[in-house]
Amino acid sequence: MPLKNKIEELKKRKEEALQGGGEQAVAKQVAMGKLTARERIIALLDEDSFNEYDMFVEHDARDFGMDGKVLHGDGVIIGTGTIYGAPVAVFAQDFTVAGGSLGSMHARKITKIMDYALRMRIPIIGINDSGGARIQEGVNSLAGYGEIFWRNTLSSGIIPQISVILGPCAGGAVYSPALTDFVFVVDKISKMFITGPEVIKSVLGEEISQEDLGGARVHAQITGNAHFYSESEFECFEQIKKLITYIPWNNNRKARKFESKEPKTVFNISEIVPGDPKQPYDVRNVIRAIVDDSDFFEIQEMWAGNIVIGFGRLNGETVGFVANQPMVMAGVLDVDSSDKAARFIRYCDAFNIPLCTLVDLPGYLPGVDQEHAGVIRHGAKLLYAYSEASVPKMTVILRKAYGGGYIAMSSRHLRADFVFAWPGAEIAVMGPEGAANIIFRKEITEAESPEEMRRQKVEEYKEKFANPYVAAAKGYIDTVIEPEETRKLLLHALEVSSTKVADRPFKKHGIPPF
Amino acid sequence: MAINKLDNKQLTAFIPGTIVDVKVKVGQEVKQGDILVILDAMKMHNRILAPLNTTVKEINVKPGDRVNKGFVMVVLD
Repeated sequence: MPLKNKIEELKKRKEEALQGGGEQAVAKQVAMGKLTARERIIALLDEDSFNEYDMFVEHDARDFGMDGKVLHGDGVIIGTGTIYGAPVAVFAQDFTVAGGSLGSMHARKITKIMDYALRMRIPIIGINDSGGARIQEGVNSLAGYGEIFWRNTLSSGIIPQISVILGPCAGGAVYSPALTDFVFVVDKISKMFITGPEVIKSVLGEEISQEDLGGARVHAQITGNAHFYSESEFECFEQIKKLITYIPWNNNRKARKFESKEPKTVFNISEIVPGDPKQPYDVRNVIRAIVDDSDFFEIQEMWAGNIVIGFGRLNGETVGFVANQPMVMAGVLDVDSSDKAARFIRYCDAFNIPLCTLVDLPGYLPGVDQEHAGVIRHGAKLLYAYSEASVPKMTVILRKAYGGGYIAMSSRHLRADFVFAWPGAEIAVMGPEGAANIIFRKEITEAESPEEMRRQKVEEYKEKFANPYVAAAKGYIDTVIEPEETRKLLLHALEVSSTKVADRPFKKHGIPPF
Repeated sequence: MAINKLDNKQLTAFIPGTIVDVKVKVGQEVKQGDILVILDAMKMHNRILAPLNTTVKEINVKPGDRVNKGFVMVVLD
């Protein structure tokens, strides 16, 4: 046969594979408001950058009449491409082919691209849209999931792992996204749960829709399983592309450096934080007043809003920001906010991203439910993560820094490299009211007018201790600065800490309280 | 039916505190982000905001009231 004919045959085979599950199945996918797996990859990657592998892979199932069935690509597309020029490995489950169900060859394709990404030290993006295990393939499907989870864990902290939930992702399948760094969900399309509505109904008699049980908003707002929420698949892909610009290819590199840009003048740093410590404000505006071009890329925006996390740039370099949010629950630390911040700090530390912490909090949230939900264990995650992090750590105390909250929020004692405080900072063991009541209990109870005496003693305490100078006198903070100086000083801090050495004694790994 | 925490129309106190101000009246239309009540708690005048565009159905607090954790301060329609 002449080569020309062989090329024709190749083209024919490719064309067949490109049809996925066929016209009807594709029409069904479109009717569900979803893009097809290939359309998704094309929308996500740089134009013409995608190279597909294993297009001709076939399943090897023999039971239950599977031996005659053709499943193109075995329901998953794998390959490599670029995002703004950065190399990435991708897999996308194809729901049009046997519902994107995971059989042994399907899993083998996913693990092949995962192995490739790890070997080449490039990020991996997994697009999940699957009915779950392919029942006809029995325990081979389970083996496939296990092989994926093992690789997720192996790659963790070495290459960025991103999961995109664009369809159902139920049962064991949810654990791959849960093991990865960032999970993206889209309203009305993403569904994640361990046991679905039918099982819940049959076991517990409770009725709930898929959407209310594990829809995008549930995971973005209530569970914290999702990091990014959007209203459409295209918006979701834009978020992923933006994230890729902030993170390095692997843990041996730094994130790409951009040109430095001054913050926008609408964010006037001296006017954002009210002088009265009882007045709330949006701490994200402080971040915007500090970072390049006032561009702050927030993560887990809708969950545990009392702490804010996300990326911004200083002098073109990616920095991870952690900030108490006074406008949500007074900015207290609790179970969820500790958990949220701790994981982000570990992410930044693993990928050489310096940390900047903005402090303004009354302390930990009191309550039986918090104590019984394990705030000791969860709060400890924050201490662990900050103490463990060896990237440059910069802390700015904006206003309140009381008690355990002061220690936890990247204090000198947990080895922050730079601690700056604004003149309005109140750094003390506890708030003036509480402290005066304890220290001057005798004077207050024995006074002619206890209320008057209490007020007087609170004022006295406030004046003496609710300021940054007691901590400055001990060197716990490095300097007290004017708000306008913040960016300049952070830029300088970053510059002088780029060669930071933080040697730690050898250990196999620590035992963080998770 | 399981409780759906999304679209919560009952605004409760996240911690015991004192009502400083009530900014709305029953029947008033509110927009997402409007301040409904100011609650003094955890060293802060916390702004309790409308989570969506709607009308105020019920107000159970007045300035000076002490409220317990979980107390329903405002009910939206």
